[in-house]
Amino acid sequence: MERTVKRDYGEYVMFCVFMLPAVVFISVFILYPMIQSLVLPFFRWKGYGKLTFIGLKNFVTMFTKDEFFWTALKNSLLFSFFGTVGTVGIGFVLALLIDFKIRFWAVYRFLFFLTVSISVVITGLLWVKVLDPFGLLNALLAAIGMEHLQRVWLGDVATAMPAIIATAVWQYSGFTMIFLLAGMQSINPQLYESATIDGATRLRTVFSITIPLLRHVFSVIIMLQLIFSFKVFDQVWVMTQGGPAGATEVLGTHLYKDAFRLVRFGYGSVIASIMFFVAFVFSLIYIRVSGYAGTVNRAARN
Amino acid sequence: MRKPGIGHTIIHALLILWAILQLYPVVWLALSTLKPTADILSRIFAPPTSLYLSNYDLQLFSQRGILISVYFLNSTIVTLTTLTVLTIVGLLAGYAMAKLNGPGKNVILIALVGMLGIPVHALIIPLYYFVAQLKLLSNHWGLILPYVAFFLPFSILLLQTYFRQFPDEIMEAAKIDGGNHLQVFGRIVMPVSLGGIATVLIINFLGIWNEFLFSLVIMKNNHAKTLPVGLMSFRGPYNADWGPMLAAMFMATIPPLLFYFIFHRKIISGITAGSLKE
Repeated sequence: MERTVKRDYGEYVMFCVFMLPAVVFISVFILYPMIQSLVLPFFRWKGYGKLTFIGLKNFVTMFTKDEFFWTALKNSLLFSFFGTVGTVGIGFVLALLIDFKIRFWAVYRFLFFLTVSISVVITGLLWVKVLDPFGLLNALLAAIGMEHLQRVWLGDVATAMPAIIATAVWQYSGFTMIFLLAGMQSINPQLYESATIDGATRLRTVFSITIPLLRHVFSVIIMLQLIFSFKVFDQVWVMTQGGPAGATEVLGTHLYKDAFRLVRFGYGSVIASIMFFVAFVFSLIYIRVSGYAGTVNRAARN
Repeated sequence: MRKPGIGHTIIHALLILWAILQLYPVVWLALSTLKPTADILSRIFAPPTSLYLSNYDLQLFSQRGILISVYFLNSTIVTLTTLTVLTIVGLLAGYAMAKLNGPGKNVILIALVGMLGIPVHALIIPLYYFVAQLKLLSNHWGLILPYVAFFLPFSILLLQTYFRQFPDEIMEAAKIDGGNHLQVFGRIVMPVSLGGIATVLIINFLGIWNEFLFSLVIMKNNHAKTLPVGLMSFRGPYNADWGPMLAAMFMATIPPLLFYFIFHRKIISGITAGSLKE
């Protein structure tokens, strides 16, 4: 007790000194623009000169006159939902298979995570070539005699969005896998042994042991995937730029076009504020499920 | 114990199937760079028959206004400078969060976790304008400064989990021997935490090297572009020339792939540790 009282002030000063550079960076380049982005939606602004206050006009335009906004919102949600289901689903199956105590398990983990390290721009451009009319997929279909399935995958309104989602699932399933695998490997093997002695099949133990014990990891990874995929921009911009006919327009691309092509910064900010709001809700849930909130609560109690 | 047998063969078969599905496009990319465009298109699955290297002719790129070596240099400068500043700032803050008592620590912790989820797009408009006001558009610093800020929350969170593992008793002993916080940090805590610091460096390297949107908006001038943005030039009129395009893509992939090959263990353990408490 005596010790803490004695050193408090010096330590407080050191804490502030050590934190200062980080706080300055974050305040100037994250918090300040964040405040601006909450204000900008209420103005008309060309990026230079005067800001004209127009109240809720931007919001009204977006909700009532901008048909692309609704398409973009729908596509962002579709991408988030199916992207998350796909990556978490496949990541779970892969982790489960690897966790069967097979040989070379670390090699598989290495291979499956590899695509995560590559830039989305590269994987996007690569998949443009895979899905090209003369690309790998159509050539593969021809090779196995299924020419009737060939398509201009990214130029077809019906297949463009699913193709983009598939690309994301292809690239990021390894990301969810490493979290789930780490979780599985921390489960006490004796639990499985005693369940097997009691006559449970391996499949049963997946539902009775693995999934319940991984609840925490599942919630974290689902929230992370939702957060990452809701802000999708790079992949869509590289692969289709929102086309054909707006079929793959997402909030990120819609915002970019409005702000940086049509130079409507105020209006672009309205779209940004919607993204911000959704991401904020996701982040609040993430803080809860990640366990950081629990740490803070415990720290506060002590 | 579960015993190996026919089950394991099926598992291996399934895993190998996924591995092929996932890696074949990347392998195809690497091999196709060694074939002339006409060959790639006519015999798309065939491996290269001879060592055809013209796709890697950088002169040909620059004649078309695609300055691969300039983009490469820009990416390198921006990434290395960002990493240096980011690591110094992140180390200090991570240490303070883990080992020092201070005002508002809990609020800062929650804010940092919250910032992990902020979509950069939501800030791109005010930030673009801010960087323009600073007269830093198409300037390396116009990219470096926001990058440091954006990669800080994750870095601090991950670093503090490493610093937390350091026993307080040793630090106390060092302080009794007359060391101040900076000395204890530099001479005792830092050397022991080098592994953790390396992990943060490597993960941030990948994130910064691959970043796209900010670079797209801020680096307007062709001579200022980083690799991911520069590669977008291939969406234009040279889109049909597959050979050089694939070669450029492959060149841009080499640094991150190399990093992954060398450091994959650290990357995998670090990503799980920073995002998950406990």
